[in-house]
This record gives sequence, structure tokens and C-alpha cells, in this order.
Amino acid sequence: MKKRLYLELENCIGCRSCLAACTQCGGHEERNRNYVYDVNPLVNRQTMPLMCLHCVNPACARSCPAQAIQIHETGAVLSALVEKCIGCQNCTIACPYGIPKFDTEQNLMYKCDLCIDRTKDGIPPMCASVCPSNTLQWLTEEEIEAKQKNHPLNNGKWVASMPYLEGETNVKISLPGILQGTTKLF
Amino acid sequence: MQRDKFFREVENVNHPNEKLIKTHCSYCGMQCGMNLRVNTISNKIIGVEPRYDWPVTVGKMCPKGVTAYQQTNHKDRILKPLIRDDSALKGTKEGFRESSWEEAYDLIATKFSNLQETYGKDTLSVFSGVSMTNEKCYLTGKFTRVALGTRYIDYNGRFCMSSAAGGFLRSFGVDRGSTLPWTDIHETDCLFISGSNTAECHPTSMFRVWSVQERGGYLIVADPRETPLARRADLHLDLKPGTDLALANGILNLLIENNYVDDEFVMNHTNGFGETKELVKEFTPEYTSRITGVSKEKIIKAAEIYGKAPNAIVMFARGIEQQHKGVDNVSGYVNMALVTGKIGRPKAGVATFTGQGNGQGGREHGQKSDLLPGYRKITNPKHVEEVCEVWGITPEEMPEPGVSAYEMFELMDQKKIRGLYLLCSNPAVSAPNLNFVRKALKNLDFMVCSDFYLSESAEFADVILPSVTWSEDEGTVTNLEGRIIKINKAQEPIGDSKPDWLIQVELAEKLGKGKYFSHLKEARDVADEFRRATKGGYADYYGATWDKIDKQDGVFWPCKDENDTGTPHMFLDKKFYHPDGKAKICALPYRPPAEEPCEEYPLRLTTGRVVYHYLSGNQTRRIPFLKDMCPEPYVEVHPETAERYHISHDEVVRLFTRRGECNYKVKITEAIRKDTVFVPYHFGDYESINLLTIAALDPISRMPEFKACAAQIEKLAVGKVQ
Repeated sequence: MKKRLYLELENCIGCRSCLAACTQCGGHEERNRNYVYDVNPLVNRQTMPLMCLHCVNPACARSCPAQAIQIHETGAVLSALVEKCIGCQNCTIACPYGIPKFDTEQNLMYKCDLCIDRTKDGIPPMCASVCPSNTLQWLTEEEIEAKQKNHPLNNGKWVASMPYLEGETNVKISLPGILQGTTKLF
Repeated sequence: MQRDKFFREVENVNHPNEKLIKTHCSYCGMQCGMNLRVNTISNKIIGVEPRYDWPVTVGKMCPKGVTAYQQTNHKDRILKPLIRDDSALKGTKEGFRESSWEEAYDLIATKFSNLQETYGKDTLSVFSGVSMTNEKCYLTGKFTRVALGTRYIDYNGRFCMSSAAGGFLRSFGVDRGSTLPWTDIHETDCLFISGSNTAECHPTSMFRVWSVQERGGYLIVADPRETPLARRADLHLDLKPGTDLALANGILNLLIENNYVDDEFVMNHTNGFGETKELVKEFTPEYTSRITGVSKEKIIKAAEIYGKAPNAIVMFARGIEQQHKGVDNVSGYVNMALVTGKIGRPKAGVATFTGQGNGQGGREHGQKSDLLPGYRKITNPKHVEEVCEVWGITPEEMPEPGVSAYEMFELMDQKKIRGLYLLCSNPAVSAPNLNFVRKALKNLDFMVCSDFYLSESAEFADVILPSVTWSEDEGTVTNLEGRIIKINKAQEPIGDSKPDWLIQVELAEKLGKGKYFSHLKEARDVADEFRRATKGGYADYYGATWDKIDKQDGVFWPCKDENDTGTPHMFLDKKFYHPDGKAKICALPYRPPAEEPCEEYPLRLTTGRVVYHYLSGNQTRRIPFLKDMCPEPYVEVHPETAERYHISHDEVVRLFTRRGECNYKVKITEAIRKDTVFVPYHFGDYESINLLTIAALDPISRMPEFKACAAQIEKLAVGKVQ
């Protein structure tokens, strides 16, 4: 069954397990390819994770003159192919979310590949596997729909990633405030 | 067993030339399930893979858990016994030479024997920890009393768990840290969490905590800081450090006044209600608000939510326990559950978050100065007799009860204790009032330390014995639910390192006590003797065989025999462990913190953890990812307080109390109260906040008041910055 990475930003506790876990995925050379940002560090230390959203029509791939950025059949936007990447860094400039990073030693771009060696076999990516706060989840389409139904927001923008970000994305993000519409038990 | 909505059938990744060893994390009491990836050619641990089949944490891990495997083959491991010939170098990393086990054992046996011949049996002491297996904890107690014959043994649980133990024993007659399994938490209607920075200290509980809110349940958090948990709570009770008992009494008063009392439960299953009702009358919302600093509206609302909740769980941690009235705080919050009858059924009860890996099991099996295996009392002749039968000694040979952890350092200072065997603990960072503790360690005639890294405490040793990490040995631990689980061996010990139980067996032989220990050839032999030693005790592990633990995804104690599947929920029969079967609702007069702010020290200092480090940081400060994320301590200051002292973000300031001073970088944040400052305690040497903390002890648990003392901040003169 097809599953997607889904981010429930409100759950983030800033533990950065997702970063640590990313280093453990095969082929990531012990480097994390996702990020956690301090939203307001001097106030309450709210944090938010940012991973590649795996755009359906990704700006990084569109801008690559060497076709080094492949899109896997699952929708995952892969890291640059070693044999094709020419190190021009167009992708790092084109991506609106600052996801592709550049390794100057290898003259090579690297980015989140949605743990393709895991997700192609239905195993959740490392970040979502370990995320202790359920900020990162690996869900079926039905589960994501159910979430949207259970937590309706007045503005109708429950999922931010379509069409408001870089076109349609394979990773879905809930806006902060997802629990505003929750009916209390008592 | 106990599989819930979070459980998913997911296959693990299987890389070529690798095997996965199912085990649990080496750190906190959550004991998250994980697979260690072992290369089948080198037989070394090379990574980690989530353990999706573990029902409690379903593959989830915090950053410490993800990187825990890096401990074992770390370059800092001690690979051979180390001896220091020049005692003038004590307290430094210098002067150690490598030796054989034989030489180290001979030296220890000679020194220990000489000291005991000159100054008596009780001149030796043992200081241990609870980040080790039940089997090791048990054997350490036996080793102290049988092989060394001294009364002085205590452990770092005194700095961590003993107030919870004291509170539970007084209220319920038994101390199992959680009355229900963690798989119940997300199904309750109200979580009342007090003094726990759950998101950073027990992050893998968070998916269940958030799930309560997602279902429409309530989260109430009492904490001086706006932690990630408190930030999202329905109600954040931002009390002054050290005033928890007033808050608990205030809420209890409102629960009683507003008729949330379960009369039937109170009448049939508890004692002490009348007296308590009278005592808490004084704690009106106004009075409680005056003491705690929490607005009376919030206090009223908290009582209303908890009172109305069909099911609720009261949870707490070191915030309320590390106080000189920690036991009262625990009983105070337990009162809420007893008065409303929200205990003794699924989805309702009380639970404490255990800080150390085996905080629960480690406190039950004889490492405490007054306890014997199975939670037996060393002062109870019948209990002593039962244990003596297993150990093969006579009751006359059983030493008297000793003193608590901090008090042992006082005896070292007075030269009443001259020898120390330290294992699995780092008191030179984690004890309060460190200037004194470090002096006491230096004052010892002879000290042995068993560790796998050269910790700050090992620097005071004459002999260091290289022990193994958790992944090089096997045994059981008891997690924060009271679930006995199995730690499995993933790799052979590196260098000459040995498991602590084996060290003790061999050392006992050298001390002429081999006949009591020589039958213990492998960890499983220790486990079998240990289970027998707990049989019939309050914490009865007899039925929890390793096979059963594997088959059942862990076994909850008590588990009395082979047919018993264990006890996930405590008190389902409404029977408590006091002789009359009733729980005790405790009338608890409020006491302020031992040291109140004054003109000279106008701030309150509180301490705690960050998510990246574990206890004294001896392990985690060496792991690159964790070190990068949090390389140094800091002092959290509210922006208005910072303005008053003319200090700014990232500036280094001097923080001081009556006991010491330290320089810290300032972290300005609105997450802290204006009258309070916070410093994490995981750092050693001159960065340790425990140089400043106070050693005021709880009268029952003998736990120091880490969480509150009076402090002052000073801007450093220009040029004085480090």
C-alpha cells in the first residue's frame, strides 16, 4: 500500500532524533539530510523539522542541467547521481526550502532520498521510524484523509503543501493549530 | 501482548553480512526496544535499526538511543586494568599505568584486607548505580555484605528515584513506579504531569502524550519552566521550584470541596482521609497561589479537569522528587488519585518517569543501605533469614543497615570510611555540593573504580577496572512500567574488559569468599540465583524467567511462579500492600525549600536535563552527534531578569550559591520564570552545576534537594570572561 511521509508540525519537541536517525540510513555516509529549525529560540524554543517535500515537479530536478536528479517511481526525489552531477549547485539555489546541500570535497550535491532503500520495500524512512513525538509519520492516503477529516480548520488549508508550496508534493504537512478544531472529551 | 493502535507490522531491513540483535537502549527508564546491527564478519556492532516489534516504543528512539551503539567500540574505552602508584595525582587523569587483572585483583585484595584489619569491616564502602542489570545490582548487594562484610553500600538512585520509592511505599505499601503499563497512557482522559520535562527526558513517551490531546483529552503540566511539554499543555501550572506540595494540597482541597471524592473507594480501601481533609482545608486557592506563584484560576481549573475526568493518570519525575520533601510531594500527588478513586483500574493510576535505565529494578534488590533482594528490609529478622538461606550465610553475619549515598561521603570526609569500590556511577559530577564530595573522594585511603570510560570519578581512583558496556553482556532490567525485560549480548567484550558480575565473582575468590560466588559461571547463573533471592519478597521476580520474558514481550512484577504471567496493572483487586490491605491518604504539612531566596541570593536555581545527554554525561559527552548538539552547559534566564542584571544572550556570567560558583553562557528565554534560573547538570569538572546545589536531604528518602536553592548571578567584569 502506498504510504507518504506526513509532518504534524505541532508535535515537534526539538529532540532532533530525526537528524540522528538520518545518519543511520544506508548510503547517507553518516550525514543527516534533514534539518530542525528553531522557530523562536529566545522565546519558547519552538522547533520545526524540515525535510525534502519530494515535489511532484521538483525545482531542483527542473533546474539540473545534467539530469543528475532522478525521480523514483514511488515519487521520491533522489540525491544527485555521482556519475552525472557536475557540481553546478543550481539545485541548491532553485529549491525554495533549502534542502539540497553541497559537498565541496566530493563536488557533489546530496539531499534526502526518502530512505529509498527502505521505502521502496514499504519500510518507513529512518526519520519517521524513530520520531518519538509523532511529528514525522508514515501514513497511507486513507490515514492522511482521516486526519484531515478529524481536524478541520476553518480556513480549509489543513494541508499546506498543496497547492501553496512548490506545486504538489509527496510529503504532506499539517499547519500548526491542527488541534484547534478538536472536540474535548468532557 | 498489550499491542495497541501504534503497533504496526513492519519488517526490519536486513543488510547483507549483518545480523540484528534485539535488545533495549542503554539509557533512561523507557528502555526503548532497538536492534543492534552486528557485522557477521567482524562480529562488531556497526549501527542501529528500529525495533518495530517492541510494543512499548514501536521503533521510536531519541537521539541518545539512535547513537547509543557508538559507545561500545569508542576510542575512549578502557581496555586494561589501570593502576596509579602515585596517590598525589588523585583527582587528575594522570599517573595511570596498565596492569594485568591478576595484579589489580591482588592489589585490591591486599589493600581492602589491610584496611579492614586495621580499621574494622565497615571501613570499606560500595557505591553503585542502576544503569546496570538486575543481576548485577543483586550481586553488588551480595558482594558488599558477603564478600566485603561491610554495612556501607548505597547507590546513585538516592539522587534519582528514592523519593518516589519512599512515597509509594508510604501510600501503597509497595513501590512499583507505575501502577499501569505505558500502553494505557494514550487511552486516558487526563494526564496530570508534574515536575517532568517529558519531551526531553523521556521523549519516546511523547507520541502517547500527544495522542491524549488528539483524542480530546486534557494535559495538565506543573513545571517552573515552559518545557516543550508545558508549551502545548491545556493548562501550565508554572509554580516556583520547591512548592509542589502546596500545589498538590491545594488541588486536593478543591477536589474534596467540589465533591469529586469517590466515597465508596475512600471508605473501603483507604485510611487517613479525615485527617488529610482537615489539613488541606488551609490550602485555599488564594493561599496556594501565594505560595506557589500559580494563579488561583489555573489551580481551580486544574482541579476541575482532573476531578471530572472519567480516567486520569498522575505522572511525575525528578522535579518533585529531588527535593528535601520529595517523599511528601510524591504522596501528595498520589493523594489525588486515591481520594478520587482513579487508581486500581486500567487507564487510571499514578506513574513516575524513571531516570536511569534500571531505576526500578535497581532499587529493589539490595543496593540501598537498608534493603535486601525482593524489597526485603535488612532490619526485619524474617527478611534477613530468607536472604541468608539463599546466600548461605548466617543472620549474624549479615551487616547492619548503613547510611545513604551523600552520608557516605560525609563518613569518607571524617575518615570513618577509608576504602571505596565504585561502579556504574559518577558521583564526582552527579552528587550535590561537589566541592565537598570531591574532597571526600580525595580523602580516601584506597579507591577502586569499575567503568568503561575514565569518568570524572575514576580520576580519584587508585585502581580502575575495565568493565563492559551494556551490549557486551546479558541480563534483565526493569523499565519504568515495572516490566522486566531482557538485554542481549551483541558483541564479545573488547580488550580485557569484563562484566561487573564476573569481576565480583573473581574478586570474592581473592578475598577468600569464593565459596559463596564460585558457582556463578555465567550471567544466567546469577539470574537464577537472583530470582530465588526475590521469591516471596514484595518485588517478586521468581516467575520471570528469561524464556518467559522473551515469549511475552517482558514480564511485569510481581510474577510469583511459572504459571504467573505477571501483573501489568497494580491493585485491580483494590488490595494495597499495607497489612490491612488499604492505601494511605497522607496528611502532609507544607514545608518551604531548605534554602529560600534572600537579599544576597535572590534567585532560585533549579537543574535538569537536556535531550542529548544522560545523567553525568560520561557516556553521551563522548558521542559526536550528541556533543555537537549540546557541547556545553548554559544558564536559562528570563529576558526581564537578564535586563535587570544587564546581561545578554550568549554572554558568560558568574552564577553562585553559598556552596560554590561557576561561569556559564546565558541562554535568554521566556520559558523560565523571572525568579528562577536553570542549568543542565550533565557536565563535569568546573562546569558542573552540582558545585552549587545543596545537600539538604529528605528525612525519609535521604534524597538531596537538587531542584531548589538560592542563587545569584553576576555580570563578569570586562577582561574576566574566559
